[in-house]
Amino acid sequence: MKVSSVEKALERGVQLVSEFFPLKTYLYFPVLYSACIWAIRRREEWKGEIFSWQVWLDPDAIEVKPDEFVLDFFESHPGLQKAYKEEIKAKDFKTLRAAFRTLYPLIGLEDPFLEALFKPELDSQDYRKIASEFEARVNKAKNDIEAVEEKPKFLEALKNFGQEILALSLYLLSDTQIQKLIIKEIKKLKGKR
Amino acid sequence: MNSNPRPSLPKVFLLLFCFFLLAACLSHLREAKFYYSQGQAFSRQYQTEKAIAFYKRALEEAKEEAKKHPSAQAYLLKGMAELNLELWKDAEASFLEAFSSGFEEGEEWASELSLLGLASSLPGLGLKDLALKSYSYLLDKSKLKPVSLYAAQKYTDLALAQSLPKEEKEKQKILNDLLKKMENLSEKDFGCGFYHYLQSQILSHLADYRKSFEEAAMARELGLPSEKIFRDNDLQIVFCYEKLKSLLPPEEWREYESHYEAWIKKWGWKDSQTPGWKKEANNAADN
Repeated sequence: MKVSSVEKALERGVQLVSEFFPLKTYLYFPVLYSACIWAIRRREEWKGEIFSWQVWLDPDAIEVKPDEFVLDFFESHPGLQKAYKEEIKAKDFKTLRAAFRTLYPLIGLEDPFLEALFKPELDSQDYRKIASEFEARVNKAKNDIEAVEEKPKFLEALKNFGQEILALSLYLLSDTQIQKLIIKEIKKLKGKR
Repeated sequence: MNSNPRPSLPKVFLLLFCFFLLAACLSHLREAKFYYSQGQAFSRQYQTEKAIAFYKRALEEAKEEAKKHPSAQAYLLKGMAELNLELWKDAEASFLEAFSSGFEEGEEWASELSLLGLASSLPGLGLKDLALKSYSYLLDKSKLKPVSLYAAQKYTDLALAQSLPKEEKEKQKILNDLLKKMENLSEKDFGCGFYHYLQSQILSHLADYRKSFEEAAMARELGLPSEKIFRDNDLQIVFCYEKLKSLLPPEEWREYESHYEAWIKKWGWKDSQTPGWKKEANNAADN
């Protein structure tokens, strides 16, 4: 491991902290030193922690309903009863089930996302339009949703610094050596001002 | 006496310090897990838009992790995010990649979850029977509750779909076998509201509305995993109420209705057909 590369990384770290806390030089040392020690000494610990952090798939509601339930859904809602009068009378379950798949989450379960998406049709009780356009409009809306925004630049920069430190095999240096290197970089910065 | 003129650390510094420590140790895998969990939290609250935004971010992070540090967990996370975004083909590829990467000791949960994820991507690709077998295997073998919960729901949905077009006798057999399987799960973990919800749904297909109501009421009391399932369970309760109203003899109905009134009062419903969360009563019978 080259000490010069460590020095360069620390220099960037000092520079980074100084940009965010220009008048608070007393913060530079504890912040950088703690980060370095934490980053180096606990590398394996984090890896274990991250790998043992369990995430799961959530179960959903049951989608397949009996014919009676589907029929009751259309019959017990005045607007749907009117819109699907013929299909209800003929017990046309092919059409009713296809419409149920789109209208039950919206009118039955009152999904807020779908309610917002189909508000004009709900207001005008144009249920057939909802059923026919459902798939395409929901897919488009989902595609249009952006991934949650990036973290603030400061955190991104800190993250990069942490990764750089990790990559430098800094564990070969003692704590005292690291302290000295950080202090040296802070002094260098102060000297420039 | 301390002559050090340095001021004490302000709260804002402590906060940023914590951020620093956190940020320094962040890996894409950790971030993927974090964003995925956030997506789940919003999804459970029925906040679809936010859930999708978080799942998309989780997918980005998982892709980065898989690119820089390929591992079974990186592909697992990628597949899970894809599954929630309904990207079936991508999800299937990710879960297969997770298997080929190999799981470490202590990662049995991730291995089972990958199998679960893989099974979930199969119906979207037209392989329903294979999915059903995978869920059945996991229901019999897994000791992990979240795996059992998810597998039970997927297995139930697929089996119910399978039963719909069948002749009455065959349909009854599929439904009774399915009910038995869910009852076994419930016997092992009676306090789990979700298993009671599943039984209520199956009993509804068997047209046993009294028992379906009882199981749904039990599920409501014990708690359900998400707002969507909770609402669906409430609508099942209303449906059973309406069916029983027309099916029960007058005396039995009166007795049932008095119990029902006590339940809905306890639950704070607006009336016998309107749960608290429902905006308005859609009561055609009264119109």
